[in-house]
Amino acid sequence: MDFSIHPETQEAVEAVRDWGHEAMRPAGLEADRLGSPLPVDHPYFQRSLERGDGRTSWCPGESSPVRRGAAVHAMWLAEEGAYWDRGVMVANPGPGLPEASVLARGTEEQKEKYLGPFVDPDRPRWACFAMTEPSAGSDAAAIQTTAQKDGDAWVLNGAKCFIGGASRSDWLLVQATLDIRQGRNAQRSFFVEQGTPGLGNFKIEKKMGLKAYESTSFTLQSCRIPLENLLGGESQPKSQAGFKTAMQTFNAGRPIIGAMAVGMGRAALDESLHFAKETGLIKRERIRDRIECMSRKLRSARLICLRACWLVDQKRPNVMEASMAKALGAQVSQQAAGLGLEILGQVAGTGDHLIEKLYRDTKAMDIVEGTGQIQRVIMARQLVGLPR
Amino acid sequence: MDFGIEDELHLLVETAALFGAQQLAGQERMHEQQRSIGNALHRAYAEIGLADLETPESLDGAALGSLAKCIVNEELAACDVGAAIALDRLGPTLYPALEFEGAAAVARLQALCDGPAPRRAILIHEEIDRDPGKPISLWVDWVPADEIAGVMLLGPTRACLVTEGIETRPLHASGLRASGGCSLHLASATAAEQWTGPDAASRAHARARLWVASMMLGVLRATCEFSRLYAGQREAFGKPIAHHQGLAFLIVEMNMALEAARLLVHEAAWRLDQGEDATLESASALVECIEAARWVGPSGVQILGGHGFMADYPVEKHMRELRTLGLMGGGLDAALETAGRQLETGVPPLNITTPVGERK
Ligand SMILES: Cc1cc2nc3c(=O)[nH]c(=O)nc-3n(C[C@H](O)[C@H](O)[C@H](O)COP(=O)(O)OP(=O)(O)OC[C@H]3O[C@@H](n4cnc5c(N)ncnc54)[C@H](O)[C@@H]3O)c2cc1C
Repeated sequence: MDFSIHPETQEAVEAVRDWGHEAMRPAGLEADRLGSPLPVDHPYFQRSLERGDGRTSWCPGESSPVRRGAAVHAMWLAEEGAYWDRGVMVANPGPGLPEASVLARGTEEQKEKYLGPFVDPDRPRWACFAMTEPSAGSDAAAIQTTAQKDGDAWVLNGAKCFIGGASRSDWLLVQATLDIRQGRNAQRSFFVEQGTPGLGNFKIEKKMGLKAYESTSFTLQSCRIPLENLLGGESQPKSQAGFKTAMQTFNAGRPIIGAMAVGMGRAALDESLHFAKETGLIKRERIRDRIECMSRKLRSARLICLRACWLVDQKRPNVMEASMAKALGAQVSQQAAGLGLEILGQVAGTGDHLIEKLYRDTKAMDIVEGTGQIQRVIMARQLVGLPR
Repeated sequence: MDFGIEDELHLLVETAALFGAQQLAGQERMHEQQRSIGNALHRAYAEIGLADLETPESLDGAALGSLAKCIVNEELAACDVGAAIALDRLGPTLYPALEFEGAAAVARLQALCDGPAPRRAILIHEEIDRDPGKPISLWVDWVPADEIAGVMLLGPTRACLVTEGIETRPLHASGLRASGGCSLHLASATAAEQWTGPDAASRAHARARLWVASMMLGVLRATCEFSRLYAGQREAFGKPIAHHQGLAFLIVEMNMALEAARLLVHEAAWRLDQGEDATLESASALVECIEAARWVGPSGVQILGGHGFMADYPVEKHMRELRTLGLMGGGLDAALETAGRQLETGVPPLNITTPVGERK
């Protein structure tokens, strides 16, 4: 056993801390006060790019080198970034959520075409993954967006919602079905480039929290895209491949989402502790016990996230641990923010205190990328064979 | 024993529910945005008699008690809690006035808040009594009001009313914006009125806590109902999400929490109306509401999934406002302290015969 942090990771975390303190947190608070996402031309994005963010991990011509301990490393960075502002983290430019799918299933041409511009981007660029629909979220197999072959094109029809960064993305990886009746087996992912006729009606939602990034609904109306825009090309294995790819995008991220939640919870804990010390409240056992409990729960959730990531690095299965990390991280961070509200009392009633923002922000962590209930369903399948 | 509601109260519930449905429901986002509810609503509220429920008869009020008020608060808050607070100009400042002195003090408070534009009186619960001779300096980070005519400070055995030297700074509050929101500052203010009396203070605290608790009941109910109905209609994996046991149990737990909290509030209010000491009961009723609010609010959002996180639906507002309500009435810790101290010194709360240790 070894619970120490690798020196390289430590160094990277410290760099995120400096950047977070200087740029991320202020940008997050700015967006929250404004009540709308940071605009595309916000100086934060340019600076983030100059700092080296917004790039793909894909290396042209090479099979992507996987560093030792990559998942654990990523986890620590995710926790630290979210500590400063999770909304801004998601708002960051880069190939984002769909990158993993493209790396796993994309053809070489697709990697070149869609990840290429992210190798050394000339400006902040975004991409997004569009799965959720107004009538289907958790039940991702039930999506209604259709893709039909028509001569030399795929024709997409449907509506998507809550898609992070959709209106500013260079391209959208859109999940659609070839045949609604066949459920998950018929799902495929398609690259839809911004500006394609038929892609439109972008509407940026008004959210409760995480306001720094846009969550956007849009429609696809007889949207024609070239045949080669099918992720993985025509040759990809037919049954369930598309659905599985999409799910992989989410699965890989679960412990990372858990870690982000822990980071947000840690921010809430720090605010509470700072306040309790300043005001002398910390001397009251009732308060101190609650803070102790919260810090204990956050530490244990972090360890669960770490273990789930460590299993990834060991190339061992982690379905159970990944869901546990996601479920527990989300739960604990909400509790920490809630506790913060209680400890800060009236101060938290003012809508411009960080703790109040964290209370709203953390709620999303139990919804995005598989709700808390869905994580429990997954774990119950493992533990007691809960039938599908 | 009778858990039924008397006819008179029943009529009141219906009146409040109708007012809520016709005047408040559907307007809550607008009220939130405008930070006010408008004078017409104040007039309508007064016209149907809801403004003077607990006002003494000598002031043309209905002289009803805490239970009636709690029931009405729940009905109105279920539609728009920010508006319900804004409508109640005296709010819980009524209770020190009533309990320490009576009709005359209430009349003076009413006169203070009277005027064409809505002005409110604000109650601050304090853990120590103020020295009546000393000037009052105080900073409160947030109160759910904009125009404040008076600040009532209620300590363990005393209360005082400040009407001058009140400085406020508007702010973007976390919730309850329909009733405004500002920080409050008293700099060496002098009390316009002051009272002393431990029993009156204790009853005033108790009634004020129930005022907040009953507002919370309304929001708890709203979020339970909205999410329950949504879960019955929304489908995932081939059936209504409400029929997935994980969610079904959550919905059941939420409704249990609501019912438990409501009964504690009603019992405490009833005891107060009987003239009993309900210090423990009202403090623990508020604690129960705050504890329920901690998870029932977020669960309402959770049941709606991503939709719950968006401002198109009311549950995110419920979640925020439940938490802000929990900061009122002196807050959780003060209520826990009161309840805890009662356990130390008072009669054991569940015993119906002689407590074990005291048996001969
Ligand atoms: C801030 C934010 C950002 C997002 N970003 C993206 C994005 O970039 N791309 C994207 O594709 N999507 C995105 N989403 C959508 C998100 O993935 C969905 O909201 C989520 O999967 C839940 O789906 P839903 O909202 O349709 O809820 P529903 O599926 O309708 O679920 C409603 C409720 O039912 C419960 N439920 C469902 N099935 C079961 C079951 N079997 N057992 C027990 N309970 C169940 C759920 O847990 C939930 O509580 C985002 C959402 C948010 C809030």
